[in-house]
Amino acid sequence: MINASALFGSLLANVEVSSYLPILLLLTIAIGFAVTNLLASQLLGPKRKGNVKQSTYESGMNPVGTARKRFNVRFYLIAMVFLVFDIEIIFLYPWAVTFPSLDHEVSNSGIWLGRIVFFILTTVVAYVYGYRKGVFKFD
Amino acid sequence: MPKPEFLTAQFITSVLTITIVMQILLAMAGLSIYFERKISAWMQDRYGPNRTGFDLGLPVLKSLFRGFGFWGLGQSLADGIKMLLKEDFTPRNADKALFMLAPALAVIPALLGFAIIPWGGTLAFPELTIPVLNWTIEAAEVTVAGANISIGIVYLLAVGAISIYAVALGSWASNNKYSFLGGMRAASQMLSYEIPMGLSILCVLLITGTLLPMAMVDHQSQHGWLIFSQPLACLIFGICVLAECNRAPFDNAECEAELVGGYHTEYSSMRFGLFFLAEYTHMATGAAIFAVMFLGGWHLSPFPGVFEIPGLRAEDTGILAALLKFGVLFGKVVLLIWLMMLIRWTLPRLRFDQVMQVGWQAVIPASMLLVLMNATIVYLGRTSLVEQLIANVLLGAAMFATVRMLPKSTKNKRIRLAGSRFSPLEGEVAVAGPQIDLAREDRPVEGSARLGAH
Repeated sequence: MINASALFGSLLANVEVSSYLPILLLLTIAIGFAVTNLLASQLLGPKRKGNVKQSTYESGMNPVGTARKRFNVRFYLIAMVFLVFDIEIIFLYPWAVTFPSLDHEVSNSGIWLGRIVFFILTTVVAYVYGYRKGVFKFD
Repeated sequence: MPKPEFLTAQFITSVLTITIVMQILLAMAGLSIYFERKISAWMQDRYGPNRTGFDLGLPVLKSLFRGFGFWGLGQSLADGIKMLLKEDFTPRNADKALFMLAPALAVIPALLGFAIIPWGGTLAFPELTIPVLNWTIEAAEVTVAGANISIGIVYLLAVGAISIYAVALGSWASNNKYSFLGGMRAASQMLSYEIPMGLSILCVLLITGTLLPMAMVDHQSQHGWLIFSQPLACLIFGICVLAECNRAPFDNAECEAELVGGYHTEYSSMRFGLFFLAEYTHMATGAAIFAVMFLGGWHLSPFPGVFEIPGLRAEDTGILAALLKFGVLFGKVVLLIWLMMLIRWTLPRLRFDQVMQVGWQAVIPASMLLVLMNATIVYLGRTSLVEQLIANVLLGAAMFATVRMLPKSTKNKRIRLAGSRFSPLEGEVAVAGPQIDLAREDRPVEGSARLGAH
């Protein structure tokens, strides 16, 4: 049986973890701010309903159909390419922090540069493929 | 009662910073709406808001102020009160839960973002004893920031990305075609510009070798501001901040001419207000992180040894020095927000396809090349200010020359809708001349088209 309070206490004793406590506080404040504002306007404002008023706004015309329709496939392609690039950037961050402090004479930083260039080149291949396929053409 | 482990000098400073800076940011969001209107009025030769004072419509206050208008400064307060008192309206076909959730999701990450910004540098926290409980807080060197966390700038990227959910959910939940289109545009634009933003931050990480904003500022105090040594990364980051905040010239999400209000078309009262608050808070956070990364944070000396002011040096850790540093950084934030407003009222809005084309075909390749260039100069050890500047200029010139040499497609640039009557598919015959049937149907008349294709 794990003692929850002891576990929490040992977590907080860790400097790394306890440095996130202010963010927890800030999160609480932000959620409280949003909820208070939404509730206040819900409570303070008037409530008037009507058939026409509650209909979807379409510049004064009667709404036609639903908005939950099929949309352009380009948005989907963009999302897919974004994933490739975003994962690449995430992996580049730790490298970028440690690479400048590598010692030229001792460590083989040239190999590290080569590896990362190869890694970036894999994304370039994806980019060129997408470019040739016309993913980045918006007409 | 023993002292809790987490109650350190850093924790107390962080809590104080959070509470104070949050109030300032919220007040500044209101004020910047006022100043945005004033600046737009000034640029368009109008007066702008100049009547609303602080009398709140009460005769007592009215007679007290003797009709003094406070230059319209009460406008933001009046707007806020009005938003609270207006009807919180939900359309019939909307997804009620998501419709409610979206504004909250917009404002929460916006308020979380400023936590890592080192507003006041390092503070020598004195030893403190809390009287009744008899807790002693040891003296320590603390960072005047919302939170002194080791992931630093990654936190900002992570939190900033959440606001895309607000736009996408809000637009989808409204069940309105304008909202839906605006939300799709905004989401794909914010996704696209997150990549060059991450890459331009990578350049700064490569040069400074740290994730902590605090250490970035210290690096700039020793080696000069990064806006001079990394102008290209600075430019790309500035563009991305504008695109991430959905500010003009990238405000396609709320493109009034074609999409009414964009993703917040169906929103009213404080829900609408929260979206606006989120936008202005994002501006402030973006400006602050720009100032920290490229404009030397709280330093006023662009190069080491030039224009150094006592109180703004790294070794000044008194409370007055912290306040002074906060003032300088805040002044830079206000200056950058003012610049954003000038850009908004000067440049016309880019068309959506132009935004995406600039993003994917220009800014992203450029930022990738920039990362490679910076990796190379770091590997070669050529990271003095002049060497970085030379490398940047060379890369910029090379990119400019390459773009000029690329083949240009001139084929029917005006309307490129494949298969329409303006650019027919292969094997189709274009029909010339205005014909009413064609204009209505946008489809070739029988017999004149689709001779061989398909």
